[in-house]
Amino acid sequence: IPRLFCSAPPPPKAVQHPEPELTMRALAEMGFSETQAEVVYEVAKKKRCKHQVPILTSLFVLGFNPDSMLKVLEKCPDLYVVKESQLQQRIANLRKLGLLEGSLQRVISHYPQILSLPIKKVNAVSRLLREKCQFTVQQVTDILRDSPHILQEDHTSLEYVFQYAYFRMGCQQAEMVKAKLFRLSVEELQCRHGFLERRGLYQTPDKKGQTLIVNPKLKDFLPVSEETFLTKIALSTQEEFDVFRKLLARELEEERGREHTRTAS
Amino acid sequence: TKWAGTRPKVASSDLALHHFDMTYSLQLGDLWPSVRVGMLSEKKYGALVNSFSCDSDVISALQTQGCRDFISTALTEHLSTDPELHNPTAAPITSHIQCFTFPRGDISRFRPARSDSNGLLNYYLLDAASVLPVLALDVQPGHSVLDLCAGPGGKTLALLQTHDLRFLWANDLSGSRTARLRRTLQSYLPTELLMEGKVHVTSVDGRQWRDKDESTFDRVLVDVPCTTDRHSLMEEENNIFKRSRTRERQMLPLLQMELLLAGIQAVRPGGDVVYSTCSLSQLQNECVVQRAVTVAQQEMGIRVEVQNLSSFTRLFSHTFHFAPQPAVGELVLPHLCANFGPIYLCKLRRMS
Ligand SMILES: C[S@@+](CC[C@H](N)C(=O)[O-])C[C@H]1O[C@@H](n2cnc3c(N)ncnc32)[C@H](O)[C@@H]1O
Repeated sequence: IPRLFCSAPPPPKAVQHPEPELTMRALAEMGFSETQAEVVYEVAKKKRCKHQVPILTSLFVLGFNPDSMLKVLEKCPDLYVVKESQLQQRIANLRKLGLLEGSLQRVISHYPQILSLPIKKVNAVSRLLREKCQFTVQQVTDILRDSPHILQEDHTSLEYVFQYAYFRMGCQQAEMVKAKLFRLSVEELQCRHGFLERRGLYQTPDKKGQTLIVNPKLKDFLPVSEETFLTKIALSTQEEFDVFRKLLARELEEERGREHTRTAS
Repeated sequence: TKWAGTRPKVASSDLALHHFDMTYSLQLGDLWPSVRVGMLSEKKYGALVNSFSCDSDVISALQTQGCRDFISTALTEHLSTDPELHNPTAAPITSHIQCFTFPRGDISRFRPARSDSNGLLNYYLLDAASVLPVLALDVQPGHSVLDLCAGPGGKTLALLQTHDLRFLWANDLSGSRTARLRRTLQSYLPTELLMEGKVHVTSVDGRQWRDKDESTFDRVLVDVPCTTDRHSLMEEENNIFKRSRTRERQMLPLLQMELLLAGIQAVRPGGDVVYSTCSLSQLQNECVVQRAVTVAQQEMGIRVEVQNLSSFTRLFSHTFHFAPQPAVGELVLPHLCANFGPIYLCKLRRMS
């Protein structure tokens, strides 16, 4: 496995220094073009990384090609400075969480930040999903694959999204995973659900799980564009939905204000 | 807990919603979801300007906030651009009433009214659509007017903006409501005006006018008690869908018809009556009017004619959503972008 050094700037072509030459060759071996290699050097220099760039090695081993490696680093330049041992532990941990070949690569290219997060942080979220929200191990894997950004979200709001879907909307975990629930913000979830509910198109199931109307499936109205949501499910107009969004935001804000005064007094 | 929903178990508002889902989905069809979400969300107000107040800044202050008087806007802008409105049967509007509203889709709220140097409040906040029955009544200088169910007084105040009416009798069965009405009048009208005996407030059963033999009023407003749909969906207090009030609720259409008949009895031949509710219910709206017209003819020997208000509603269609053609009268439908109403109104002319 080639090691990459980036302490020195790219040398002028005529001058032959042993070390940088090796680096250039290493980059070339990974398939980087000269211009691409220069980009890598440039950023590495800015990031003041003293010795090497283990992320390139790690990505290379995972089968990334130079184009996608560059994209990853562009999205998350922090990765330039992550230590090799840390990277290896983090990748191993993601595998342990069920993100196997294919999924692992997809998550990393989609959300490179995942490699910049400490294992503790990642595992805390996975534990929250399993223990507090009672998702199965497989479901947790699916959630992490579909919505890795939740790893950086505040736990209280994650739990709130789950509780809203579970208690307020009466949904089961499997539906939530299918609908990629965690891709939505709490506000968006409340807005779409609240709109349907007040239009009479969604009901919270009673204790026996029954409703008077047939609720639309979560996966049909959450992971879809607003246009599809309005034309296919809510059967309404953009104008109405925009006003509703404003009204609901104000309602919730005022409710929080009231709760705040209640707990404060 | 926060997940049990915001309302108690079988809240009256839930009963109301269930009842509305059953009846209005049939009555309004595809329009119902839009009306429903409107009624379950914050309503819009209008600021009825008090022309007796000497707060000279009020208009410009309202305009700076982005509101417009929907009545003069309709008269100056839409009347001139809409050729259909020039036909002679168009309901005449000669009004001094100014009612400011925020534009379509704007959810801003009004500040509370302020008092002027004489202690009179500068505007009264109400559902802007509730000004429509007053406008439709078309009060002229010198008219005597009866407001049969007047408390708490929003429409009474609107009626009084026509300064040169001769006499206004405001009545409400409920003592507490008339007390509120009196307080409202005191906060909005100069004492001299109240002393002149121009305004008369009573607290009797409006149905009594049916037995009186004097048909003297030029105009009568019959703004009846009803299921107050919006209120019933949002508030537990004084909710007519409370189980213990089922019978009272079922008797409403009868009461409403009797009040309308009393209004018809009180108006002079050639005079106008406006019947209004704040409900979507056909049973309380069209059915009551149609039944009253028949009963007036058959039992009282009075012929009344329903007046066509379609050009009137057309004039205000930039501000309100009107239901497509009820059998008689006009109905303002709540809608998120123009969240006024529901207000039903029907104008009747006494012919004999
Ligand atoms: C819809 S509210 C009137 C609102 C009022 N016009 C306004 O704009 O502020 C109906 C009123 O009818 C009154 N009422 C009920 N039964 C009545 C009766 N038999 N005679 C007169 N008023 C009655 C109620 O007390 C209530 O105040």
